[in-house]
Amino acid sequence: MINSVVHITHLSLQYAHDVILDQLNWQILPEEHWLIGGKSGSGKSSLGKALAGLEKISGNIQFFFDPSSPLPARVLYVSNWYQFTNLEGDRNFYYQQRYNKQQRNDTLTVYAELMHYSKEENLTFEEVEKYLSLFDFLDFKNTQLIELSSGEHKKLQLIKALWLKPQLLIIDEPYTGLDKASRNKLNQFLEELVAAGVQLMLITNDENIPSCINRFAEIENGQLKILSAIQHFSKDLARRQKPLPYFLRQESKESADIFVHMENIRVRYGEKEVLKNISWTVRKGEKWLLQGHNGSGKSTLLSLINGDHPQAYASEIHLFGNKRGSGESIWDIKAHLGIVSPELHWYFDKAAKVWQAIASGLYDSIGLFRQLNYEQQQRVNQLMDFFELTSYKDRLLTSLPLGKQRLVLLARTIIKNPSLLILDEPCQGLDQVQTEHFNAVVDELCSFGKTLIYVGHYETLLPSCLENKIVLEKGEVKTIQKIAAYA
Amino acid sequence: MANYFNTLPLREKLNQLGVAEFMDISEFADGVSALKGKKIVIVGCGAQGLNQGLNLRDSGLDVSYALRKEAIEQKRDSWKNATDNNFTVGTYEELIPTADLVSNLTPDKQHSSVIDAVMPLMKEGATLSYSHGFNIVEEGKQIRKDITVVMTAPKCPGSEVRAEYLRGFGVPTLIAVHPENDPQGKGLAEAKAYCVGTGGHKAGVLRSSFVAEVKSDLMGEQTILCGLLQTGSILSFDKMVEKGIEPGYASKLVQYGVEVITEALKQGGITAMMDRLSNVAKIKAFEVAEELKTIMRPLFQKHQDDIMGGEFSRVMMEDWANGDKNLLTWRAATGETAFEKTPAGDIKIGEQEYFDHAVFMVSYIKAGVELAFETMVEAGIKPESAYYESLHETPLIANTIARKKLFEMNRVISDTAEYGCYLFDHACKPLLADFMKTVDTDIIGKNYNEGKDGAVDNQELIAVNDAIRNHPVEKVGAVLRKAMTAMKAIKTV
Repeated sequence: MINSVVHITHLSLQYAHDVILDQLNWQILPEEHWLIGGKSGSGKSSLGKALAGLEKISGNIQFFFDPSSPLPARVLYVSNWYQFTNLEGDRNFYYQQRYNKQQRNDTLTVYAELMHYSKEENLTFEEVEKYLSLFDFLDFKNTQLIELSSGEHKKLQLIKALWLKPQLLIIDEPYTGLDKASRNKLNQFLEELVAAGVQLMLITNDENIPSCINRFAEIENGQLKILSAIQHFSKDLARRQKPLPYFLRQESKESADIFVHMENIRVRYGEKEVLKNISWTVRKGEKWLLQGHNGSGKSTLLSLINGDHPQAYASEIHLFGNKRGSGESIWDIKAHLGIVSPELHWYFDKAAKVWQAIASGLYDSIGLFRQLNYEQQQRVNQLMDFFELTSYKDRLLTSLPLGKQRLVLLARTIIKNPSLLILDEPCQGLDQVQTEHFNAVVDELCSFGKTLIYVGHYETLLPSCLENKIVLEKGEVKTIQKIAAYA
Repeated sequence: MANYFNTLPLREKLNQLGVAEFMDISEFADGVSALKGKKIVIVGCGAQGLNQGLNLRDSGLDVSYALRKEAIEQKRDSWKNATDNNFTVGTYEELIPTADLVSNLTPDKQHSSVIDAVMPLMKEGATLSYSHGFNIVEEGKQIRKDITVVMTAPKCPGSEVRAEYLRGFGVPTLIAVHPENDPQGKGLAEAKAYCVGTGGHKAGVLRSSFVAEVKSDLMGEQTILCGLLQTGSILSFDKMVEKGIEPGYASKLVQYGVEVITEALKQGGITAMMDRLSNVAKIKAFEVAEELKTIMRPLFQKHQDDIMGGEFSRVMMEDWANGDKNLLTWRAATGETAFEKTPAGDIKIGEQEYFDHAVFMVSYIKAGVELAFETMVEAGIKPESAYYESLHETPLIANTIARKKLFEMNRVISDTAEYGCYLFDHACKPLLADFMKTVDTDIIGKNYNEGKDGAVDNQELIAVNDAIRNHPVEKVGAVLRKAMTAMKAIKTV
């Protein structure tokens, strides 16, 4: 008889009245590397967290680690959502704080964070260099944690996991926020870890997985359902076609023909140049794709447009016909545009309910501080219906599956029918079906005269309305070109 | 310079102390228009200076920073703060003469010398703005008669001022116009516009006066805010260790407990804080608080009297002149306390446990908030002003203790508050010495409910609830908190 490494019996887990896992039984045997996929909201992340001891469960989870292995006899769960604290252990950061420069160091540098980690986990510091260089992270050593982009945070988490090499490594949505090159590198590392004796469990619906994965399962009605291959995962149901609410079929009024115009823009923090010589014009009705590697400056560029970057002042930036810093407030600027980004999502009000979150888009606030009139309330209700969110009305936003949360944020951002839509990796963390659904909505919205700036890594999974492309590399414009029509 | 308050006749003293009008949001309908197109020059670029400036500029106003020549030449932090955010930075000589409004956001201690340097450079009819009135009221600084003097005082640390603004909200703010310096009658309009520029109008604005702001602010920060939390933390910790509670646990219970307990205070006043306790524990906490109030009342009264009479600021300014000798000695001593030196243990403490195991701390905070409020109101300060300077700020200060204990608290608060905090602490500990002998681990360190069946007498519980809910600080708090419901929870644990 082969001894199992993990033996789970009658594992149950519920949030309030929702049963997530129901008497689940499962054994992980040596040499098995699992992929857990399937529908959103089925309990994949909960299972991963339960294994790592991060959930309140009933039932039994037993581990039989190999005492003779040199690897740490433990489970590490890498969450699909990054988290960091400041020097005082505080997590009270605010959206776009990283652009507001202040001399007092609020968070650790990457280097200090890794130092701290090596002490805590008894790791040799020299060894991390390898992972840093392979993820192009060496330049970031003196960067404060708060200054990292979402993709960079993800990389840092992975670097720590690869470095630790626990006997059981669980990675939830490992590819979220990573560009193509980083994905391939990660897979290569995972193969190496497996060769060194680590057992893997990946939670994703991504199909580009390392070849060492040899078992597949999904969760159905709270129970583990073993599948023979990746093709058999259940998919979320395709969306029912619904007409776009009437107010969104109205072209938004905008007097200026040029929405964004920048000339030779540079953004620097001390000696570090994040953007240099950026010149770019976005005209009314254009649909742009913005691309570039992690850390190439995409989010910084967008923050100049949406009014969040202090260095937009005293620069040659014209937005909606006005020079930046000529007496307009950031709220005037935000009234023209709608944005969805991983950062906005991350910093969003943790206490927000779905209805309030959508309504807050009318005022571009994070949190709803005002009463809505009848017409405004109707807009919220129409959007909830359009996105099939009505049953979640009073739920906490954070309690919804990730894909649904993104739809809520999209609804929030279009509620004022903005003329410019900025979607910064809106599908990060979503699977293929969810992404197609999201992009179909974007295409439909854009057919009513909207202007679009869309950031996405996956060439294959983009809205079809995109016409122009701008690519950044190390803070500079690499190319600006028309996108050839897809065949 | 003479203490401004002391030069006033009693009638005018009472008149200025009594300015406290909670403003309706409709009074801010003009937005920032009174300052639109005008030049705002901020002096100082620390936490308040930088964050207020970022907000004002994001509201469409023209903001630049005047710094001392040395700060610019040596590229000090204030210079980096301003230039890294693309602000125009210049010397006093370069920028002050162009300013329509000069905002002095330097530390209290520098106000006199900053004003001396800035005032001759200011153009005829310009406005001078403060965020704290110490210089005008306690130091009696005389400002040129053509200059308008106003105050806009956000009641939160600078980082919160920015964070709340960016999420579309703001922090509660006090505004005032100095009656001696409003030659054109434009003071109130400009103070309101400044307040809108920082986002304060969305979270409740109290129209105050320089005098009311200073006298209540000094009282609040010395007694309930800093002093009481410092004394309470040290006494609770020492008591637990003396009675054999594991020091790591004791340290954590105090460090994070003050934050957890006062978060309830922030959201629902003393009533909500007390309602987190079981009925038996609540009655016990009420009794302990009453006893503490009786013991500490004369001390609170002495502090208020010294503040009103100008004695407090006189003695503190002597210490400034003496190179901060007392302040630095006391600061060092705080760093050496056992509480400060014992790191919080790696033990999980549940949210409710912070209440159940620290009935003494709850009583102590209740006693302090009520005493500070009562003493201020008895001295002629209006309940609205007294509320902001007692109950409202307590959780903000408690949050600094949760981050890094007393050292962090004393680093974040102003030197003035720190000085007052030590004065209070040194007088309060001996005063409570006898009482502390009666305290055991049932009210600090262990679960008060343990071994009790939870039964209480109906009449007694009704009377206690009634006393808690009908205290004047609860009445005024209910009104003011309505404007702040949207403020987010502060959380370290």
